[in-house]
Amino acid sequence: MSDVLLEIEDYSGGFRSETGDFLPVLHGVSYRLKTGVMTAVVGESGSGKSLVALSILGIQPPAFERSGGRILFRGTDLLSLDERGMRRIRGAEISMVFQDARAALNPVFTVGRQLADVWQLQHGGGRSAAMKQAIEALRRVSIPEPERRARQYPHEFSGGMAQRAMIAMASLICQPSLLILDEPTTGLDVTIQSDIMELIVELSRTRGLTTCLITHDLGVVAETCDEVVVMNAGRVVEIGSVEAIFTTPRDLYTQRLLSASQLVEAA
Amino acid sequence: MTVVLGSSKVVPRRRRRPRSYWALRIGIAVLVFYAAVALISFVWTPYDPLTPGIGDGYDAPSWAFPLGTDRLGSDMLSRLMVGARYDLGIAFVAVLIALTVGTTIGTLAGYFGGKLDTAVMRAVEIFQAFPGLLFAMLVVQAVGAGIVNVILVLSFVGIPDYLRLARAEIHAKRDWQYAEAARLAGNLPWRVAFRYLLPNSVGPLLAFTSINAAFAALVTASLGFLGLGLGPNVPEWGNMIARGQDGVMTGQWWVSFFPGLAILGLTGGLYLLGDALSDITDPRRRGR
Repeated sequence: MSDVLLEIEDYSGGFRSETGDFLPVLHGVSYRLKTGVMTAVVGESGSGKSLVALSILGIQPPAFERSGGRILFRGTDLLSLDERGMRRIRGAEISMVFQDARAALNPVFTVGRQLADVWQLQHGGGRSAAMKQAIEALRRVSIPEPERRARQYPHEFSGGMAQRAMIAMASLICQPSLLILDEPTTGLDVTIQSDIMELIVELSRTRGLTTCLITHDLGVVAETCDEVVVMNAGRVVEIGSVEAIFTTPRDLYTQRLLSASQLVEAA
Repeated sequence: MTVVLGSSKVVPRRRRRPRSYWALRIGIAVLVFYAAVALISFVWTPYDPLTPGIGDGYDAPSWAFPLGTDRLGSDMLSRLMVGARYDLGIAFVAVLIALTVGTTIGTLAGYFGGKLDTAVMRAVEIFQAFPGLLFAMLVVQAVGAGIVNVILVLSFVGIPDYLRLARAEIHAKRDWQYAEAARLAGNLPWRVAFRYLLPNSVGPLLAFTSINAAFAALVTASLGFLGLGLGPNVPEWGNMIARGQDGVMTGQWWVSFFPGLAILGLTGGLYLLGDALSDITDPRRRGR
C-alpha cells in the first residue's frame, strides 16, 4: 500500500441540469497513481478523464454532483476536506499544468513575478530570493536568457515557452509530490510537443515526481509513460503497463483506440 | 527551442502609440496646470478674492484685471484661482472615496457572487433609477450645504458606477484559467480577487475614474450654479457663473465666461486623460 500515492475508489457523479434532471457521466471510476511512476490516463474527449483530474484538486465544475466514491491522497479523502484543507494540498502537494498555458498566466504581471509570487506563497522568503528561484526555474526548463525572459509579459511568450514556464511553476516552484498534466501538449506544434514531453519526463525522473498525464495522444504515452489507464464514456475500461496495453490490449475499446492512432501515425 | 516573438504585437502598438501619447500629455498637462493654479492660490493671488470693490464693478479685462471684475468689483482672476481649489479638491476627494468603496464592494460581489451579489446589485439598480444630479440636489437641500456634504453626496453618487464596473470585470475574469491557476497555487480567495484579478481591470477603472472626476466637477459646479453648493460668496466656479448671469445680458460676458471656460478645460482634460489611460494601461500596448 505504501507505494500508492493517490487512489481513486469507485468515483461516480454527474451533472444536474437546471430542470433538475440528473445526467450521470462518471460510473465507478477507480485507478491508482503509484509513487514515482508516470501514469497516463487516455481516452477520447468526453470520456471523463479531465473531470476526474479536476475532482482530485476540488475544482470540478459547479454543476457537477458526486454520487459516490472516494479520492484518497496519502490515506486522507480529498473529497471530505474543507476549503482550507484543500488549499494546503493545492500547490504544495498536488499541482497541475493546463492545456493552454498562455491562458493560465496572468496577462498583467511579468512571468518572473508570477513564478516568484507562487514561490513566496509556498516557501516564504524575500522578494529578491524568490525572483532568483524563478529565474533558476526558467533556466532549468531550458528557456534561453531566463533573466530577460523573466521580465517579459505572457503575451511576449510563444505557446511552447509559456508551457515551459507553467511546467516550471507547477514542478520546480511548487515542488509537489504529484504533478497532473491535463493535455499539456495539445495546443502546440509537433516539434515543440516532443521537446515539452522530454522536459516532463526528465523532470519527473530526476525529481522522483509522481506524474499523471491526461492525454488522447497514444504516441506520447508509448514513449514516456509506465502505466496506462484507459477510459471510455465515464468508465475505466483497462489498466495496465504500457507494454501490456500496447502489445496485448484486452478491451475492445483499447484495441480500437490503438488501431485509430496507428492509422494517424501511418498517414 | 527557438524563441518566436509574435510579430502581431508590434503592429498595433505602433498604430496606437502616437494618439494615446498626445492625449495623455495634454490630459496630464491640463491637470497639472489646474493643480498648480490651485496650489499657488494658497500663497499668492493678484488681489484678495473675497474683497469687493477692488475695481469699480464690471471692469472689462485689462492689464490691471486680466479677466475683469465681477458686479461687486472683485478680481475675477483671483477668484478663479481660488475656485480651482474647490472644484478640483472636491472632485478629487469624492472620486477617491467612490473609487475605493465602489471597487471593494464590486470586487467582492463579482468574485463571491451568490446572495451578496444579488442583494448589492438590486440595491444599485434601485439607486441608479434616480438621476445622479437630481439625487445630489435633493440630498444637499435636505442635509444642508457645505463642503463635506457635497463631497459625501458626490462620492455616494459615484459608488454604484464603480461597483458595477468592478463587479462586471471581476465576474467575467473569475473563471478564467489564470484565476484557476492562482487558486491552484494555494492562494486565498480574497487574494485571487484583489491581487490577481483586480490589477487586470486597472485600465477600465482608471479610465472611468478620470471620466467620473469630470462628472464630479460638473456636478459640483451645477450645485453651485443652482445655489445648493457651498454658500453664496464662496468663489466656486458654478457660483461664479450664477453670479455673472445678469452681466451676460448687458454685455459683461467675462464674469460668466471665464469660470465656464475653466470648467470646460478641466472636464476636457480629464476626458482626454481617461481615454489615453485606458489605452496605455493595457500591457499588450505597453512600451518598454
